Parts: sequence; structure tokens; C-alpha cells
Amino acid sequence: MSSFSRSAQQWATFARSWFLIDAKMQPPGKIATMCSVRLQGKHKPIYHALSDCGDHVVVINTRHIAFSGNKWEQKVYSSHTGYPGGFKQVTAAQLHLKDPKAIVKLAVYGMLPKNLHRRTMMQRLHIFPDDELPDDIRANLTEELPQPREIPRKLSEYTQEEIDAFPRLWTPPEDYKMK
Amino acid sequence: MVFLTLSCWIRSRGPDRYWKVQEVLKHARHFRGRKNRCYSLAVRAVRRAFVYATKARKLKKRNMRTLWISRIAAATREHGMKYPALMHNLTKTSVQLNRRVICDLAVTEPRSFLSLAKLARARQQEGFRAALGDGKEPAGVFSRVVLLQ
Repeated sequence: MSSFSRSAQQWATFARSWFLIDAKMQPPGKIATMCSVRLQGKHKPIYHALSDCGDHVVVINTRHIAFSGNKWEQKVYSSHTGYPGGFKQVTAAQLHLKDPKAIVKLAVYGMLPKNLHRRTMMQRLHIFPDDELPDDIRANLTEELPQPREIPRKLSEYTQEEIDAFPRLWTPPEDYKMK
Repeated sequence: MVFLTLSCWIRSRGPDRYWKVQEVLKHARHFRGRKNRCYSLAVRAVRRAFVYATKARKLKKRNMRTLWISRIAAATREHGMKYPALMHNLTKTSVQLNRRVICDLAVTEPRSFLSLAKLARARQQEGFRAALGDGKEPAGVFSRVVLLQ
């Protein structure tokens, strides 16, 4: 790159930022992709696999994570203890009850590149099941990322005026029995 | 008999073995183990290294291109676009910058890169208007392509 002209040196280019993600009512896969992109440093134009440009990511409210579909009953997490007959299979619901951090942690672990940097990147990921953060982590946070999924409102959260103003598709006849 | 004294019977078998050996060992000095000292082991290791270097010259071009693409993608996502949209719209506006140059702009000239992203976004919006509209409105400024002959 001999045609480079010297531009101004930006001193904070390789600084490590701390991102905050609120996982309340969010799909854990989408949370995990956002985490893995920032842990590798792929959100930076100066990315290189060897330059250790990943950032810290703090995920809160992982207890209130929301799988779509029937994944709470159908998704199976398998492991083996190493001993004969030690093949364990646990559904996502059971795993979440046992450890609310495990689903996000396993999702991010599977999305990171499968090399020796993965363990250091996992050490830079901080997962908390609820809203409470330790003070030193709270002091380090630099940016909050927007949530990937728009949380739909419950029927009880709509005001009566909005319900009345909603257009009616069809009017039922008088002798129609609603279930 | 031609060689009548003992000193004439001494033949030199090749006076420059030392330099021939050093020619090979100098390429092996940073290797691990006895490969960096012993000629027979070093010859094999050096040949392997040269073969790897020859093959890697083609791989380097591929790796550099993927690196440029990932860096450009990261920079475009900072501006709210995606890499395929950026490149497609830049080619449609006949901006013939290659990925190496765009990557360097993204790293050292952020405002020039922002202007490229805005150009691509404008061309994208013009494309949407032309596709969804009736065809009565003229396509926008950036959709005009000059055919040089």
C-alpha cells in the first residue's frame, strides 16, 4: 500500500467498547448473531482476524428470552459426560429452568469461528439473567444496541379508544355465539 | 605419468560446497528444530516452504479480497446499508472503484465513503421508484448512464 497518504491518527481506533443488549422478549438466535459480530470485531472497518479487535458485550434479561414456534419443547440440547451411558438430552425449557444463561451462551459459542480465539471471545461476553449488573461492568458500558425484534403489544395494553377505532372486518349476526 | 609429485595428486572435488549449503540454510534459519541447522533436513523443509509459498500466491489474492469485502460490509452497515446493495448500486452508477480502493477509503477517508454510501442509497431509491412507479416519471439523476464510445 505505497499509495497511502498519511491521514490524521485516530487514537481511539483500536479501543475496546462495551455494548449492552437487552434480551427481554427477544429471540436468542438474533441476540447471538449481534453478539458474535461484535465479539469478533466484524462491525469495524479495521477488522482483521489477527488484530484482536473484538469488543465486550453485556447481555441482560436472558431469563426473559422468547423462542418462536414450539422450540421451547422441541429444541434439544445434547451433551455427553464422557462415561458410558452418559448421553444427556435436555429440552430448551428444561435447560432454561436449570440455567437461564445457558441458551444464549451456547448460541453465541456456536456462532463464533471455531478457532482458539473463541475462548477469549467468550470471556469477553458477559451474560446476566436479570436486570442487575455489577457496578464495575455498569461503569464500563459505552453503547446500547437496539433490540432486533419489535415486541408486539398485548391486547390488555391497547386503550379502549384504539380497540374501537380498529376497522371491523365483518359484523357477526345476532344469533352468533362467540366461543 | 603426468602427476609426478605427491602435491600434484591432490584433487579438489568442488571448492564451493560451503556456499552451496549456505544458500539453502539461509532460507531455513527461522525454522524450528534441527531443520534450521542440518543440511539434509533443511533441504526438504526449504523445498516444502517454497512449494507452500508458490501455492499461497494465489490464495493471497482470494484472502485479500474477502478481507476487503468484510471491511466494506462492516463500514456500510455503520451507515445503515448492506454490502450487496452498495456494490450493485455503485456499479449501476458506473462508479468503477474496485474493492481494494473502497476498503482503503472506508478505513482512512470516512467522509468519502459516506458520500459513496449516500450515492448508492440515492440510486437504490431511484431504482425502487422506477420499478414500483408507472414509468411516466423520468428516472432520476443517478440512473443516467453515459455510454462512452
